[in-house]
Amino acid sequence: MARERVYIDADVLIIGGGTAGCLAAWEARQSGGENLKIVILEKAFIRNSGALSAGMNALNMYVNQGKPEDLVAYIRYDVCGAPVREDILLGVAGLVNETVAMMEKEGLPIKKKADGSYLNRGKWNIEINGSLLKPITANMAMKARAKVYNRVYVTDLITVDGMVAGCVGFGVRDGKYYVARGKTVLVCAGGAAGLWRPRGQGDAHHRIWYYPFNTGGSYAMCKRAGAKMVGFDSRFVPVRTKDTYAATGTMSIGMWAPMINAEGEAFMREREEYVKLGGHTAPTPIRVLAYCREMQNNRGPCYMDTTKGDPQRVDGLKAQYLDISPILVLYWGCNDINPSREPVEIDAGNPSIIGAHAAFAGAWTLGTSRMTTVERLFVSGDALGAAPSRFISGSWSCGRLAGRGMAGHIKEKRPELLELDPAVLSDLERNIFAPLERYEKCSFFTSGDPVEGVFPNQMEWRMQHIMEEYCGGRSRWFYVNETNLGIARKLINRMRREQLQYLVAKDMHQLQLAWDVINRLDVCQLVIDHIDHRKETRYPGYVNRSDYPEADDANFDCFVTSLWDAKKDELTFGKEPYEQIIPGDRKAQTI
Amino acid sequence: MPPYVIPDQCDGCQGEREPLCELVCPGNLMVIEEPTGKAVCRDVGDCWDCMTCTKYCPRQAIQTRIQYQLAFVPGKLVPVVGPHSVTWTLIDCHGHVERFIMRMLAGDEEEEDL
Ligand SMILES: Cc1cc2nc3c(=O)[nH]c(=O)nc-3n(C[C@H](O)[C@H](O)[C@H](O)COP(=O)(O)OP(=O)(O)OC[C@H]3O[C@@H](n4cnc5c(N)ncnc54)[C@H](O)[C@@H]3O)c2cc1C
Ligand code: SF4
Ligand code: SF4
Repeated sequence: MARERVYIDADVLIIGGGTAGCLAAWEARQSGGENLKIVILEKAFIRNSGALSAGMNALNMYVNQGKPEDLVAYIRYDVCGAPVREDILLGVAGLVNETVAMMEKEGLPIKKKADGSYLNRGKWNIEINGSLLKPITANMAMKARAKVYNRVYVTDLITVDGMVAGCVGFGVRDGKYYVARGKTVLVCAGGAAGLWRPRGQGDAHHRIWYYPFNTGGSYAMCKRAGAKMVGFDSRFVPVRTKDTYAATGTMSIGMWAPMINAEGEAFMREREEYVKLGGHTAPTPIRVLAYCREMQNNRGPCYMDTTKGDPQRVDGLKAQYLDISPILVLYWGCNDINPSREPVEIDAGNPSIIGAHAAFAGAWTLGTSRMTTVERLFVSGDALGAAPSRFISGSWSCGRLAGRGMAGHIKEKRPELLELDPAVLSDLERNIFAPLERYEKCSFFTSGDPVEGVFPNQMEWRMQHIMEEYCGGRSRWFYVNETNLGIARKLINRMRREQLQYLVAKDMHQLQLAWDVINRLDVCQLVIDHIDHRKETRYPGYVNRSDYPEADDANFDCFVTSLWDAKKDELTFGKEPYEQIIPGDRKAQTI
Repeated sequence: MPPYVIPDQCDGCQGEREPLCELVCPGNLMVIEEPTGKAVCRDVGDCWDCMTCTKYCPRQAIQTRIQYQLAFVPGKLVPVVGPHSVTWTLIDCHGHVERFIMRMLAGDEEEEDL
């Protein structure tokens, strides 16, 4: 039976209607004019999808003081002085205050001080009431009259003669095959959650920090399309509230609450080994490292000591968390915890692969164009690599710059839509729906489990087990060495090369889960090989190499990039030089 | 704290074009069950606890319940969404009640319905 097809043509084709995607649509309209055809393909429902779906209580990028240069110097400091794309970050930091002002006009409540200025949280953040953050963000795409297709899961980009021509996917609800062409294509489908084993089991399997429905599609699609990738040698390790993994910035920056160990010692301030690495305001990976060391030395459990925080702010703690992580408030209520009167326990969760928070993963981009090494293919938000700490406000701004970049590309280069080969489209269609077809052909045990097949969640658990044990999961305190990376590579590649033929899906929902696993496995390949290639420890806390425990500036003070060879299924590695734009000591803040 | 649906309160969103919890869930998890016509979360282990479905339900039929492996029963957290704010009621396991009113939108003017 022929499957129904939906054909879509666009000037600007956006994959993922999230933080960056919605603002990219907005800006493409502003600079591309009335007639530009803007399309968004979104896996979920655009008003409530993505990292913002539970709400947020702060914008973590804002120039409260000093200049954009000072903010970028801070970002560099906060990742231990590692190479960052200062050109990209400067552009974002230069636009971020204007973007925030625009979003306030669009309805976002920003908290104010008595004098009417924004209420800052530390130097570079401001506090908001962000329970409607995503609907307000999505409204920008609506106002830009972008045509939005909800519940369309994009699986692959299509390239023609080395240029991206469009993408394919499936309707999660309608079961149709979607074929979309774009003169320019923007990938902004977020980062990758759930590569490592979560701490909670069973019904708490998704009680993790990062949004679990962003499953690495951005990275997997760009990699498969032949784009140069960067930054998979870092990963973000969230030290968050125990069990619930809610953000802790509210306490650490918002109320200056110190981390303490079981003995009540504020270890970042009191232990010499951490003081010399920066103390309470040490770079993010260092704070992760310190927490882990305290635990490994049996000085846990550890806490954020809210009782030593600013009393006025500590009183409003529950209310602040209702805007970002209401689960934590219920958790406190059900465990008789009063966070204003007692310290809040913390733990390290499973790592996530992201590019817009405090990590580096993504596609490599040319200059500040947002274009990848594949012509016409753009990235933004978590999909853009080597420019960490853009967060919400920076992802909005980064999305705007991508929108401008695409509209500009169309104006200057006048690209035409490319013809797609019908045979290629048929192959992709077969590949997309294969797990459903296979299920149809299975015989079944009395339990209902397929004899010849493996369900997506079973593959997910296997993948998470391998990554946890051999690629430095939480249970290994984020340590790896060449030997266990080799095992991880062997097992993950066996899954990718030999086992996917057993992946089955019994309905459209499971087909979505099947593609989540396929994409995650591709990201695992990037992660294992990038970590292995960087034979040094540049981000202690995030990735600790027991075989190369020090930074090796002679060989690795640069960006490590990879290109995927489809025939050999191997990554070839290269290097891009780091360009320091803001002078001075990279391991120091300027203000 | 995945969502659990109280059967007497859920009417399957009759009158809506699509049941609201099903419309909004970012994980594609809320579905209407055939025989009853009422909503259910198809896999509570896949829920991120974003509470979007709970906030959107017009009949307050969804109770978010914390995973028992993480906390005790029978505490509750109930959001009621108004035009410009959410009113949250937290009832702990001993019945103590706390209420919070959180601003959602800037300005006092009538905003378009988001
Ligand atoms: C728990 C948490 C707390 C955070 N706290 C803060 C904070 O307090 N302040 C701050 O400034 N930043 C915070 N951040 C960071 C910030 O939220 C992110 O950096 C930013 O939202 C990233 O934007 P994005 O557009 O890349 O991703 P998203 O906004 O997640 O957008 C990705 C979109 O792509 C869609 N998608 C995914 N896969 C596909 C596919 N295959 N096909 C089609 N569509 C797809 C998704 O549904 C989603 O709509 C936090 C992040 C998390 C996860
Ligand atoms: S809480 Fe969020 S993720 Fe969970 S079922 Fe409801 S809408 Fe879906
Ligand atoms: S939104 Fe509420 S009333 Fe409507 S189907 Fe879902 S649970 Fe039932």
